[in-house]
Amino acid sequence: MFVIGLLGTMIAKNIIKVLISIEFMLLGVNINFVTFSTYCDGFNFDGYIMTLFYTGIGAVELVIGLYIFYLMFQKKKSENIERYSEL
Amino acid sequence: MISNTIIFYIASVMIIFFSLCTLFARNIIYSLLCSIMVFLLGAIFFYILGSEYNAIVQAAVYGLAVPVIIGMTIMFTTGNKEKESNTNISYLTIISAGIFVLAFVYIIMMALVINPNTFNVVDSLHINSYENISAFAKGIFVRYVWGFELLSLLLTIVIAGLTMFKNEKRRIESEK
Repeated sequence: MFVIGLLGTMIAKNIIKVLISIEFMLLGVNINFVTFSTYCDGFNFDGYIMTLFYTGIGAVELVIGLYIFYLMFQKKKSENIERYSEL
Repeated sequence: MISNTIIFYIASVMIIFFSLCTLFARNIIYSLLCSIMVFLLGAIFFYILGSEYNAIVQAAVYGLAVPVIIGMTIMFTTGNKEKESNTNISYLTIISAGIFVLAFVYIIMMALVINPNTFNVVDSLHINSYENISAFAKGIFVRYVWGFELLSLLLTIVIAGLTMFKNEKRRIESEK
């Protein structure tokens, strides 16, 4: 999931696809956290707590990214990420 | 009783397939729908691994809330293109249908959490719903209470910042 997200971040032209790809990377990290917490951490559940935090932070990051994209879209009128190289 | 291994392999193949579909779909709406499937399959992974609470949070946040916001952004930013295209199915219809399907999936997952004996959920650790929630409560409110408070503060700052940003933009536009 992390590699697919990284690939999408690099090759996608659409800004929304880039943001979704970043969420894929975050999902891969979260699955790793939960897996290691289940099989290696015993009963502390630290990975579960971190996953919960990262889920919240990831959702906030996505919303902020979409809002910034929406504001910039009003000027640029394009979804192509190459047109956003200059702020 | 369904074997965990079978679910794991099926979910793995599906999550890779749908994530690739998300990247390479030409229509952004199809991309969004595939990404919803990826997030829900991620929730299934969490459930198989014994973290029902994370599965529900993942399904609620990434399966329902975030796609709605992304869908609204797509609708706001592709309004002109939709008028130019000849497609008969509007984006609004697809997104509404998707939300109903997701709500149905969410209800099924909630039912599975209430009755967790449907799958073989990590029997070796003797995890059950009560211990899971109890461990979460101890983690959030005892060991990671400062992290939890910082996250709450971050969310509050985001809401306040977006509100101020919008008001500032409105003020600048009114001055012009």
